[in-house]
Parts: sequence; structure tokens; C-alpha cells
Amino acid sequence: MTAYRALAETLDAVAKDRGKLAKIARLAEALAPLEGEELTVAARLLSGNPFAEWEQAVTSVGWSTVARATSEVTGWDLETIGACATAIGDLGEAVGLLLSDEPREPMTILEVDARLRDLSRERKAAGKQAAVAAMLRRASPVEGKYLLKTLSGGLRIGADVTTVEEAVARAFGAGREEVARAHRDSGDIGETATAAREGRLDEIRFRPFHPIGFMLATPIEQAEEVAAELPDFAVEDKYDGIRAHAHKAEGRVALYSRTLDDVTAQFPEVAEALGRIPGSFLLDGEILAWRDGRPVSFFRLQRRLGRKAPSRELLEEIPVAFVAYDCLAREGNTLFESPWTDRRAALDSIAASGDLLVSPVFRAETPADLDRLFDEARERGNEGLMCKRVDSPYQAGKRGRAWRKYKKALATLDVVVTAVQQGNGKRAGMLSDYTFAVRDGDRFVNIGKAYSGLTDEEIRRMGSEFQKLTVAKYGPVRAVEPRVVIEVSFDSIQRSARHKSGFALRFPRIVRLRPDKNPEEADTLETVAGIYERIAAR
Amino acid sequence: MNVLAPFLEVRPEGFYSSAFDAALDPPEAAARAIVSHGHSDHAAAGHGEVWGTPETIAVYRRRHPDWTGRARELRYGERVEAAGVSLELHPAGHVLGSAQLFFEGETGSLLFTGDFKRRVSRTTVPATAPRADVLVTETTFGLPVFRFPPREELEARLVAACRRAFDEGKTPVLLGWGFGRSQEVALALAEAGIPTVLHGSAWKLTPEFEAAGHAFPLSRAYEAGPAKPGEALVVPPNCARTPVVRKLKARLIVYLSGWAMREASRADYDADVLIPMSDHADFPELLQHVADVAPKRVVTHHGYARDFARILVSRGVDAEPLLSPSEQAAEPDGEEEG
Repeated sequence: MTAYRALAETLDAVAKDRGKLAKIARLAEALAPLEGEELTVAARLLSGNPFAEWEQAVTSVGWSTVARATSEVTGWDLETIGACATAIGDLGEAVGLLLSDEPREPMTILEVDARLRDLSRERKAAGKQAAVAAMLRRASPVEGKYLLKTLSGGLRIGADVTTVEEAVARAFGAGREEVARAHRDSGDIGETATAAREGRLDEIRFRPFHPIGFMLATPIEQAEEVAAELPDFAVEDKYDGIRAHAHKAEGRVALYSRTLDDVTAQFPEVAEALGRIPGSFLLDGEILAWRDGRPVSFFRLQRRLGRKAPSRELLEEIPVAFVAYDCLAREGNTLFESPWTDRRAALDSIAASGDLLVSPVFRAETPADLDRLFDEARERGNEGLMCKRVDSPYQAGKRGRAWRKYKKALATLDVVVTAVQQGNGKRAGMLSDYTFAVRDGDRFVNIGKAYSGLTDEEIRRMGSEFQKLTVAKYGPVRAVEPRVVIEVSFDSIQRSARHKSGFALRFPRIVRLRPDKNPEEADTLETVAGIYERIAAR
Repeated sequence: MNVLAPFLEVRPEGFYSSAFDAALDPPEAAARAIVSHGHSDHAAAGHGEVWGTPETIAVYRRRHPDWTGRARELRYGERVEAAGVSLELHPAGHVLGSAQLFFEGETGSLLFTGDFKRRVSRTTVPATAPRADVLVTETTFGLPVFRFPPREELEARLVAACRRAFDEGKTPVLLGWGFGRSQEVALALAEAGIPTVLHGSAWKLTPEFEAAGHAFPLSRAYEAGPAKPGEALVVPPNCARTPVVRKLKARLIVYLSGWAMREASRADYDADVLIPMSDHADFPELLQHVADVAPKRVVTHHGYARDFARILVSRGVDAEPLLSPSEQAAEPDGEEEG
């Protein structure tokens, strides 16, 4: 029986290890002696998600539930717990420091798994609080620290999903690519680890309705950057919508967002239209607000977001459409490893057999061609261009250079809100001023502050969200958990001693909310530094 | 703040004693300053007159060689009086020469802790806790997450980190402030037979420590050349990302500070090892000091003043925070000497 404490101590040691190789070695060492259900659970817990991705299960424990449970167990008041979390910079770490190290009856990893599953099924806040408190009573400091990090969805140990895949490969002598493929197709690092141990990775197959990670693009700022590669690139418009995977099999359709959430019910007209197309498939594409054969502003689409069951009025007011641009499976056969050209051919054959919107494909010979296409894309109401290597496989869940996105210099950054403040004047009393950050490794570093460009209704809605995410108050300023992703535009970037990032955005403006993105998908300090260097060089 | 009368008043630049017509640790040059200890954020340059312990004054002179003002040395326990108020300096246990200020008059008494700690360290006289009616206490680490392990354990971790670095063919880079932390580190490592190379800010103050009876046989100045294999380099934390550290290809960085309780400081200082070695009182020590001084009223300032005052109130102690204007608006930034 493996103790959860051993796993938590492994995570703590991995956090301290320098370099990816050391982290992989330590994770592999922890996985190697395990087997069966324990191995499945341990691999998931070490990757930070206690459930298989396809399970769509979440513990949904908010900050205040955790804080209340901590208060129950440690006796400290909520305000002190909030102040401690801010002082330490991480709630899990702070709770670890508040728990006493007296001996307790140890928890096994299977017991932790069962408790986390109970937690995901519990609907009432009071029930969740009691369940978290029950776990914390059994937790030593290091266990409490990692239980809470797991609940808040970020271990922050400097190990991403690839690190864990590589550790699985190393622990059981399997190929890295093989493990990555099995993980992608199973949607479960736990099942993958067990299969790797038992030498049956090749038995893992893609299953419809198990959501798959999205292939992501690396940004370019100028057409010249890809001049040499242009002959290898297919060029498409970059749509300004909600990225989605559409699964269809046995007459059923499901849509999964970038966060791997099932959003089918939010877009009934899309599900219905895809249901009329014959055969089974997995498509990658974009949900767009659509009128008169062309996309309309993301601002309108935004009103359709987060509505579990949109009203008939809303459906009529803001119709949406799915534009497909990739085909990852067709009649039970996966195409992930096939080059883009073949996948596109499969997509075109589906479009020929039914009523499916597909993205037009262009080619560009020269950077000037690409810039012309860019302007045309903008005229069609789209955000910019995507350049996709015609010989590249679909790298699910990875950001690579096989796909490039061209949004033009200083377009926008996806940033995470770290603090909110009440506005002045017309917006007095509303939490309308946001301080935001970019990612720097495992942490978020502030890069600017902006007055909201959102509507009053959105500000009010976000205000109640931020109240739930508040970790500390300093007069009018609330420090919030870094959960909410927004898109900001700006005129320039300057060096700044005021922000930890070392940079400040000049004239930042909030373009829109990005509920479709996780904080882990926010732009990085590296991206900011890169843009800065290009500006400085001009 | 009336509760401080008649001993202290709060002026925009900080605490002030009208009886002695002196500012306490003023951040800028003042006509007369009572300086609690020699850290640069407490001992600004250019005062007309400095009152402090002989050790503090020696450090002040060393750090400000061109200073032409007058010094008034006050030994621990020596009493001065003016306008019906007496002042006595008591050990603060923070750094060499650090003092708490004990004021007494007909109406009662007040203890101003300055920066202090209760744990015993190598170069400090242990802090005392005279009973006082009013306690003005620093609260740098006034939250229950701040509990520092015993010094012996932290020193053992420091020695182990250095040995690990040597085994891996790396230079141990020990990040600690130049006055206090660096000398404590050098003394602890010397006991383990590990030689240290001290940054100029620390090396120049070793005569003051030697005068107090501490020897540094295994230490030398960084100016005399970079660290050789088997030597540990001791530099201030703000050197972490400068060439002094960066040019060492094989290095193991150890961050020594109370703020090392935060995992985030690993990224802040590019540190491999975090050791929460501090010259400030941790949370239990702050509570212990309040219990021992047994004041009728506590005024908290610096760091987590608001939180610590609230915690005291919840335990039935009459307490209130004194916040500077910037503290009223923002969080403590953790950049100071911890």
C-alpha cells in the first residue's frame, strides 16, 4: 500500500530539482515500483489531475471552500488564512505551513483517489468543505500542501504533461513517442502508465467522446520570419471564435472546448448540423458567431458563452456555425500521424458528402503574398492567418512550430488577472480595474493594469466571480487567485522596475474575456521579452 | 496616536521622541537620530547627531566614513533623561549592537522593539523583555505561516548544502545581507571547517565583529579574487542575478532569509536551496514577546502589522496597527532585509 505522503514528498522533491532530466528521473523512480490501480492513480496524481482527462470530472472546490476547511482544521480565522496565502504566494503552501506535524493515521493513494472522487460528486458547498476538512485532518504538512495544489489545479513543480510522459517511458522502458501517443488516444496518463508497465501501449486506441488535446501554434510577428518556409505552408484565415473538437460516432455528436469541457449543450445548432453529416469523425475547428455567410464579432459570440441551455431568443439573435479545418479521425481510423495534406483530403471528402463549412486554403509564395492574405483575412472579419506545414502530423496538446499564427505586431496578449480594484466615477463601487500577469515558468508576473473595456454587465458578472477568487484585501485592492484569462491589446512595451516581470505594457486595453482559456495557456514572459526586443530593434 | 504619548509621536517620516528631540531610525538625514541598529534602512547617512550602542555607532562610522556628525554612545542598560522621560537601550538580538528602546516616565513606560528576535544567534546579545505599559513591536513575520526551525538545524542544512556543492564540483553561493547574516554564516561555516569569501559589504564590517570577540580565520575578501574550489561565496541577495554570481558556471545558490519560507523565492533568487535563517522574530517569538512584556496596549508596525494586531485582539490583547501610507494601500513587498 503506497502512502500518499510518499507521493507528496516526491512532488516536493521534483519542485526542488533543477532541470527537466532530474525531474523526469525522480518521477520515474516513484512510478517504477508501482503496478495496477496504484500505478494508475499515482501517475494521475503526479501529473496534477486526479482524474483521467476523458472523465470530465473536476473537484470544483473554490478558494473559499478550501479556506473554510483550513480554518476548521487549523483554528485560524479566514482573514488570517487569506493573509498567509498572499504572504506565501500559494494557498497549498501556506496551508502546509499551518498544519501541525503530529503523527496521524496515514492515507494511502487509493484512499486519496476515493476521497477526491467523492469530492467531485459532492454538489453542496458544505459537503465539499466537510470533505476537504476530513482530508486535511489526516494530512501532514507536505500532504496538505499537495492535496490543496491538486484541488486548485496547479502543482507548480515545473513538470508539464510531457515530463510525466517521459517519466512513464523511462520507468517502464517504453518509447517516448509511444507513450505520448497512448496518452493522447486514451486521454488518461494513468491508463497509459499501466499499459506501459504491462507492455501493451499498442492496444490503446482513440475512443470517440474522450476529448483530445489541441494542437497549438507559435506566433509570428512579421511575414519575413517564415519567408523560407512559405513553400511548405498551407495558409488559412485565423478565426476569432471558440476552438472546438467535434466528435461524431454512432449518431451522437459532442463538442469539446480547449479546456476539454463538453460544450455541446451550449451550441445545439452546431451539434444538430454535424449530426446530419454522414459517418463518424473527429474534426478540429472553430465555433463562430455567423451571419449572412460570414463571421461576426467575437463580442457577440461572447454572449453565447457559459450558457448551458441558450434560450430560443438568444439562438435566433446570435446564430453560430462550426468551421472545420482539420480531420483527426474518420470512420474509426485516426489520422494524427498523417501529414496535414492527407488530413485535409479527408476533411474535404467529408465536406463533399454533407453540409460542412471548411476553411478556405491559400498558398503564399512571398512574404508580400502573406501580408496581402493577412489584409484580406482581416477584411473577411477574421483575426489574421494560420500557417500550417503541409507535411506535419497533428501534435495534440502541444505548441509547436509546425503551426504558426500571424496576428501582427503588438496585437494582443492573453494574460491572467491577479488583482482587481474598484473603479472611479461612473464605475465607482464596481471591480473594474484589473492588474494582470503573464506566465514565467510556474508563476505569474504582473505586467500591467487596465481599466476595463468590458460592458457594465460583464464587469458586474466578473465582479462576483472575483469576489469568490479573492485571496486578500488591501484597502480597495483585492488580490485574486490567478484563474481568469483576459485578452489585452497595447501600443508598446516598456522596461519597468514597477512590475516583477520587468516590463510594462503601454496603454493596455482589455479586448475581451477568454473563458475558453486556462491560466496555463496565458502568454509567457518570454513572448513579452521577444516582442520587446523586436520593438527595441526597430 | 495618543497611546504613545508622552514618549513617542508619529511624524510623516516616522517615530519621534519630543523629550529627546530625536527621530527614531529616520529614513533621511536628521538633526538628531536614535539609531536602533546599523542596517542601512535604519541608519541613513548624514545625521547631525547619532545616539546608539557603541557597536551600532562603530558600524555607522564604517559605513559612512565621511560622516562628520556627533555620536552619543549608549551602552545597554545605561539611562539618559530629558523632560521627565528616561531612555534605556536593551538588547534586541537582531544584529550586532541592535537595541530595543525602553522609555519610562511618571505616567508609565513604553518598549519600542525596533527589529528584534528572541532566538539566540552567534553575534548578538539575546533580547530582553522588560515589562512595559505600551509595546511598539515590529511585525515583519507576523503571520502563523512564519515559524523558523532552530538555528542548529538551519546551520546543519547550510553546512550540508555547501558540502553537497563541493561534492558536485560547484561553488556554494550563499545569499545573505552584508551586515549580520553574512558574518553569522561565516562563523557557522568556519566551525565546520569551510572557508568563506565575503562580499565587500560584509568584509568591511568584520573589524567591528572582531572588536566584539568574533574571529574570522577562514574568511577573506572577494576583492582578493573569486572563490576557489572548496570555498563558499557569501554575497547579498541582490547579487543573485549579477555577473558576480552569473559568471560562476557551476554554482549552487542558497537563499538565506526568513522569506525563504516562500517557495516563490526559489524563482526570485534563482536559488537551489532555501534556508529560512532570519534575524527577525518569527510568529511564535512575536507572541512570546507580547506575553513577556505584558503590556496594556500593543502597537504593531512594519510587515503584517494589520494581521498581527487582529490576531492579538482575537486573543484578548488590546492592539492596533500603525500603518505607513504606502502600507495602507499595498501589501508588504518582501524586498527588505529579512
